[in-house]
Amino acid sequence: MASLGGSSSSSTEYIVRVPKNTSKKYSIMAFNSGDKVNCSSWTQARMERDMSNRRMYGVEETEEGAAGSEFGKKQREEARRKKFGIVTREFKVEDQPWILKVNGKAGKRFKGTKKGGITENASYYIFTQCPDGAFEAFPVNGWYNFVPQAKHRTLTAEEAEEEWGRRNKVVNHFSIMLQRRLREQERGPDDDDEEGEKGGKKKKKKGGRGGDLRIHDLEDDLELSSDESDSSGGEDGDSKPKKKEGDVKGKVKKKKKKKRGSDSEANEDSDDGDFEGLEVDYMSDESSSEEEVGEEKAKSNKEAVPKGIDEASESEEESEEEKQNEEEGKEEEEEEEGKKTPVQTKKKRDSSGESDTSEDSDIDGEAASALFMKRTPPKRGGGRGSGGSSRTGSRPGTPSIDSASTSNTLRAAASKLEQGKRQVVGGSSESPAAKRLKMESSSTAVTTQSPAPSGKSTPQPPSGKSTPSSSDVQLTEEAVRRYLIRKPMTTKDLLKKFQTKRTGLSSEQTVNVLAQILKRLNPERKNVNDKMHFYLTE
Amino acid sequence: MSEKGEVDLTGAKQNTGVWLVKVPKYLSQQWAKASGRGEVGKLRIGKNQGKAEVEFTLNEDLTMIDSLGDKPSGVQAPRDHPFTMQTVGGQTLAVFTETQSGKEQISLEGLVVQRAECRPAVSENYMKLKRLQIEELSKPVRLSQQLEKAVTTNYKPVANHSYNLEYDRKKKEEGKRARVDKQQVLDMLFSAFEKHQYYNIKDLVDITKQPVSYLKEILRDIGIYNVKGTHKNTWELKPEYRHYQGGEEEEKETDD
Repeated sequence: MASLGGSSSSSTEYIVRVPKNTSKKYSIMAFNSGDKVNCSSWTQARMERDMSNRRMYGVEETEEGAAGSEFGKKQREEARRKKFGIVTREFKVEDQPWILKVNGKAGKRFKGTKKGGITENASYYIFTQCPDGAFEAFPVNGWYNFVPQAKHRTLTAEEAEEEWGRRNKVVNHFSIMLQRRLREQERGPDDDDEEGEKGGKKKKKKGGRGGDLRIHDLEDDLELSSDESDSSGGEDGDSKPKKKEGDVKGKVKKKKKKKRGSDSEANEDSDDGDFEGLEVDYMSDESSSEEEVGEEKAKSNKEAVPKGIDEASESEEESEEEKQNEEEGKEEEEEEEGKKTPVQTKKKRDSSGESDTSEDSDIDGEAASALFMKRTPPKRGGGRGSGGSSRTGSRPGTPSIDSASTSNTLRAAASKLEQGKRQVVGGSSESPAAKRLKMESSSTAVTTQSPAPSGKSTPQPPSGKSTPSSSDVQLTEEAVRRYLIRKPMTTKDLLKKFQTKRTGLSSEQTVNVLAQILKRLNPERKNVNDKMHFYLTE
Repeated sequence: MSEKGEVDLTGAKQNTGVWLVKVPKYLSQQWAKASGRGEVGKLRIGKNQGKAEVEFTLNEDLTMIDSLGDKPSGVQAPRDHPFTMQTVGGQTLAVFTETQSGKEQISLEGLVVQRAECRPAVSENYMKLKRLQIEELSKPVRLSQQLEKAVTTNYKPVANHSYNLEYDRKKKEEGKRARVDKQQVLDMLFSAFEKHQYYNIKDLVDITKQPVSYLKEILRDIGIYNVKGTHKNTWELKPEYRHYQGGEEEEKETDD
């Protein structure tokens, strides 16, 4: 050590040594100056590594040997993880944080986390002065930042969120932690019994609060401390000082709890309401009572509709129908009576719409609304629908036929009305007649059809069919003679002249009568175009 | 002897003050080369017009820088290093040590009273040193090199791989698995099942060295085969043979 003198500078030299064989490893323990840590005030300190992270790296052994274990399971697990490329970082003890406890159990606690990267680009050395005046430099191995650990209870994140939402309502903030403690203690004995109820945790919380609620509501006198000591096992020390504040706290708690209760109730109410707007599958059994009525109706609708359905075209209509019915069923649950009519009109539209098109249904709806009130039309509609479907088997409601059927629609509507009137009076014999009517009209309009050519009888009054009616054309000898004089005709032509509709005779009768007439007349025959023509000369 | 975890607070009580100095990497490397007692240089602390000046001078013999590679670097480490003094404020720094060998004692050495940074005095030497460092760092880690001849030493065609030969020899030596007495096999099985509950058939064959069909016969007597569940296709003992609680040796019934 040499000291050099200088005019305005004085310096001393010291030798710097870097000891080689030191067994000690130096580390830095860094405290935040705000924590006001005074190391000299420490009487006693304990420090150990925090091993709580070990299980993340180590294998979680469920069973070692004997029951439940498999031969070679470890190796297999290891191989599997390698295959998937899972690389587990080794658990290095030197990198684990420190737990420092100062002044025993009641003192402070610190957690020191290692700061990384201090030895990467530069080295830190600790210079200490030795008794002989030289400096010794030791390299720093690690840097740990120590932070004080809170000893008081804190809320978890979820709890904190809840309390934050309630911050304007809660007057007494001290009781928040109190409640939490009580709940924990209540839960303590409960947990032993019901271990697997993790899903019910929240319920328990609520139930716990509800339980608290009940206890405190029933207890009119403010014997809260006694309750607390009952529920909170061994907290006798706390209950005594609490008794003093118990009065004030109790009242406030009651208010708060009532509010909480109302809150929870409100929540439950709104929970129920959440399901209102949902669309429920009809076939499910779990419908609420409110929706049952609507459901039944919808179901009945659904059942009635498939009877006469022409699948291809009507599926869309059906689904639309259902949805409409659904919504109706839900919203207008009270108006049962009034609902039936619109529903039924819709149904009617559906069934009739099969045979013709939707246009038909419109007219039907208008024309027959009065009739529908009597409820006879549904059955009829069903029956007719089925009949219509058999007839329209060859015509799956393609739009090309629309134009043709428009002419039908009016006639059909008219015939239906007629039918309706007639049904009031007559029996079921009318329906085939009406059918025939319809068929005839359609046969004239749509030539692509293969209509029943047999339909030729004239519309008959209910009285009788046998006698020829006083209509335009009569199948008499005179008439036949007139025709045959004018020009030669085949039998077919003659038949055409005397249509069943106009003569009122059935086709067979017409043929017989015509045959008789021809026998009597004995007209001359001529072959024109390979067809036998009759003619008369007068 | 103090127990593990107990911190020796003598340094804190004495309020030992230390300096925390940040030293450049090359300097610490040179210091590592020090011989003897570990003297590395001199530290001059002076007061110049009120300001404290600290300077460290590196010993002569430690100025030779070794460079990577064959040629000598010809670069010398700078010798003068003024210290930049800094305050400790904002943090309370304490120094603790752990003794590694056996005892594992933690002791608090002292508190940091002064922080400093060791800076090299800018000189020609330093610039050269820096250049050398940069050159070394800028070398790519991987190098592409063109080969003149194709590499033929890796995969040579072999009549039969040595590994295969060994395997065949081992197989021949072992021979076919011979059936031993059923009783013996049962004993082997029971001792195996004492260790683990579930076994793969292959593992059992390995353990017992019996032919598979024979082993399966025996297993069908005393064990059951798990198809579903967590233990995919494993054999385990029948419940009446099991006794896993406690794991003691039990006389298990064997019916022949």
